[in-house]
Formats: sequence, C-alpha cells, structure tokens
Amino acid sequence: MGWRAFLYGLWCLGIVGAYLAAAVVGYSPFADGGRSAFRVVSYGPTHK
Amino acid sequence: MAGPWDTAPPPPSEPSAPPPGTPPAKAGPAPATQALACPSCGGTIELKAAGYTVTVVCQYCGSVLDVANPDVRIIKEYHEAAAQLTIPLGTRGEIRGIEWEAIGYLQKSEDGFTWEEYLLFNPYHGYRWLITDGRGWSFGTMLTRLPQSGRFGTELAVDGQSYRHFVDGRAHVDYVLGEFYWRVRAGDTVRTADYVRPGWMLSWEGSGAEDSWTVSELLKPGDVKRSFGAGLSGGQMAGTPMPHQPSPYTGILRPAMLFAGIAVAALFILTMLFGGSSRLFSERVTIEPDRTGRSITLGPIQLDRSWQAVTIEAQAPALDNAWVDLDYSLVDRKTQQSYDAYGLAERYSGYDSDGSWSEGSRTAATKMAMLPAGTYDLLVDAEAHNWTGAMREVEVQIAVERGATFWSNLVFALILILLPVGLIFWRHFRFETARLGESDRGATSEDILASLGGR
Repeated sequence: MGWRAFLYGLWCLGIVGAYLAAAVVGYSPFADGGRSAFRVVSYGPTHK
Repeated sequence: MAGPWDTAPPPPSEPSAPPPGTPPAKAGPAPATQALACPSCGGTIELKAAGYTVTVVCQYCGSVLDVANPDVRIIKEYHEAAAQLTIPLGTRGEIRGIEWEAIGYLQKSEDGFTWEEYLLFNPYHGYRWLITDGRGWSFGTMLTRLPQSGRFGTELAVDGQSYRHFVDGRAHVDYVLGEFYWRVRAGDTVRTADYVRPGWMLSWEGSGAEDSWTVSELLKPGDVKRSFGAGLSGGQMAGTPMPHQPSPYTGILRPAMLFAGIAVAALFILTMLFGGSSRLFSERVTIEPDRTGRSITLGPIQLDRSWQAVTIEAQAPALDNAWVDLDYSLVDRKTQQSYDAYGLAERYSGYDSDGSWSEGSRTAATKMAMLPAGTYDLLVDAEAHNWTGAMREVEVQIAVERGATFWSNLVFALILILLPVGLIFWRHFRFETARLGESDRGATSEDILASLGGR
C-alpha cells in the first residue's frame, strides 16, 4: 500500500470520525434552524 | 586460403544456434569473441557470440554477412553508413543483476509505427531482447516452450500467468545491424500477435519457417538509462499508454475502494445507531386561514443532553389547497437564548387535461442542530392561507422530538469519501480507454473492469 492510499485511508477515517462527532452532538451544517430570517418562500403549486 | 576469421571457428559439433535465451552449458567453454574482416568494405567486425551467431551486419557498410560457415559470405551487400543507435552495439549494461552486451539491432515497423529491438548477449545466460518504441523499455526472453490456453478464448497462459490478446499484425524489418543467431535482413516480414497483462507482454512472431514466443517485462523508465545510458524519445505514440503498461492508478484504486467500502458501511451503521428521535412534546393547535397570524407558546420542553438535535414536526392532515407557515422559536427559559427555525406545510391538488394531480406535503419536519441542554418553550407564529381551497380552519399537530436523522450529513460524507475514489477511477478509466483503444478489440467496459483485477 502506497502513501497515497494510506493518506486516503486517513481521509476516510477523518470523515467517519467527523460524522460520528456530528451525530453525537446533533450537528449538521444543513439543519433548518436559524434560517427563518433569510428564507425565500414561494407558495402555490409548481408542477405546471 | 585464409578466411576472414582471425581465430579458428567453433568445431562443427557445436550447435550453431542454440535455443535462444537458453544459457549455454556452463560446463562447456563460453563463446569466444572473434574478429573478422567484412568482405565488402574490409572493416573489422568483432563477433561477440562466435559459434552461435549466424548472420552479422557490418557496422560500417551495412552488408549482411553469413558467418555460420568458415568462409564468410556476403548475403546482401550495402554501402551505407550505419545508423546512430541509442545503444551503440558493444555497450554493456546490467539488467536484473546480469551484465548484457548489445550485439544486434533491429528496427521494425507496422503501418508506419516503428520500434527498435536490441539483441543482448551474455555467454552464460544466452540471448535477451531490449525493446522500445520510445515510450518505454521492455526486457524480453524468448520462450523455449509453447504458451498454454488461458481461461478465456482470447487468453494464453505462461507460468500460470494469463495474457489477454491485444493485437495481431505483420511486422516489417526496416533496418538491421550487428550479429544475430538467425538469418535476418532488412525487408523480412513476419506475422505477429501480442498478448498482455499489466507490466508484461507475450509476443508471437511467425514466419513460414518458424514460430517464436517472447515474454517481455516492462522495465522502469530509469533502468535502461542507468544500465545502458539510453533514455526515451517518446516515440510516435507519446502520450498513449503502452499495451502492457500498468495503469498508475490501479495501485491506489484497489486499497482506496476497500477503504471507501469500509467507510461507507461505517457511515450507515452510525446513521442507524445515532439517527432517529424520541418524542418530548405534542400539541394540537387550530389556525384560521387568511387571518392575522396566531402566536402560540408550547412547553416546557426539557433537553437533557449537553448537545442534541431537535425535530419539530407539524402535521395538518386535512390541509387541502392551502398552506401553513410556521415560525418556530425555541427559547431557553434560563438564558432566554432563542433558536429559530421555519416550517411550511402545503398541499395542492386539482384536475387538468392530464387528469388529477397533487403536490406538496401535509407534514413539515424541521430539524434544529446542536441545541444545548435546558428547559425550553416553543413559540410558534402560525399563519394559514387558502390557495383555491375554502378551509375555514386548519388543525395542526405540532410535535417536538429530541434527535434527528440528518440525511444531508450522510450525503455530504458520502460525497467526501467517494469523490476521490471517483476521480481516481475516472483517471484509470481514461488511461485504460487510451491503452485498450490501440487493441484489436478496442476499449470495452469488460476489459476496463478486468484491469482492476490485475488482468
């Protein structure tokens, strides 16, 4: 296994670790909270 | 009459052309170096493998000489200056721990594509080939046995290694220099077939008289530079991989795919373990559409963990052609810190020329991230509006749950993990497409996928 594969393994480990940490504290950069002040909403059906 | 030999020729009982690549018997004398005078131009030709060499091409005038017999005979007479070779004949170099001397040179071509073959000789190890088309050097050993049929119809096997068929052709000898263990001259034509596996090529050459098989190993670019001082020109196919050139991405792609598989499995396991939610509070509220919004305070809501996500789910089961706007504020009773979010439930339906249709959802799930522990009130500013409907009131069930499954987190993590593998695979795909594009079959997805398995 070359160093590039090793680095990628570390990268995967980091992603999984970050995902675990986010899951433990309930973090998401995509959560809805805090967005109400900036929302742009259109109402009505859009399929036509 | 004195012949051109300066020393006596080998006795007739000695084989004049042993199986190529087979080391001469170590018990017997090693082939002697002998010198002869070219009958055409008089130049002195040093014979490196006297006793085995059948023809020699004069390095001064290019005449082809028959040296299998004591009386050197001109097979074909030329008066041309010898070409400047990348590896001058007589150059010695070490490959795989054995010193070889370049004694012969062939330039061959097929449909305008040319390559060079140097015949190497070591008195104790026989003959080898050093082959280049400008993109790389291969070290060839002639087989003394026939390859076996492989697992598939287009494969052959040597020493348990499978070689896939790559290309058939007809090679033309354009230029010859030096000495050879068979009769060869410019203008000769042989049929060829190449079979490959990463880093190796199995080549067949057939003429009316004989067939020969050679296995050649692709050398590292610096090997021949170090041993023979010969670099690479790039050749006519510069930029295109050689038929037996291993993809530089295979080495990282296989472990990367393993790591990616393990990481993806871990992500899904963590999602199952930490996803989901437990209900803390639920209350039903009624909103009158098209009126001034209504403010409702719900609670208390107790959050025990240091940090947690919260899901607020609003369900309006009777919503029809209307929408409900919900502004949420989770307010910590102790600190008065407010965490805001927004939910929208909307449901529309109708009929048109295509029949009935519906869109939207009567449920709005709002997820809030990383709320600290505390006792909270949920302030809801709710408004409802009819679109084409005529609802006089809308009932909304609002539930607060601790925890949330952030699918966006999972998708983001999957992208971060799979993107590098995808890029590497894409580059491998392009490499293999270019390599296999030169084959008779062309680049097929089956071959490209097989290349990941080392075939």
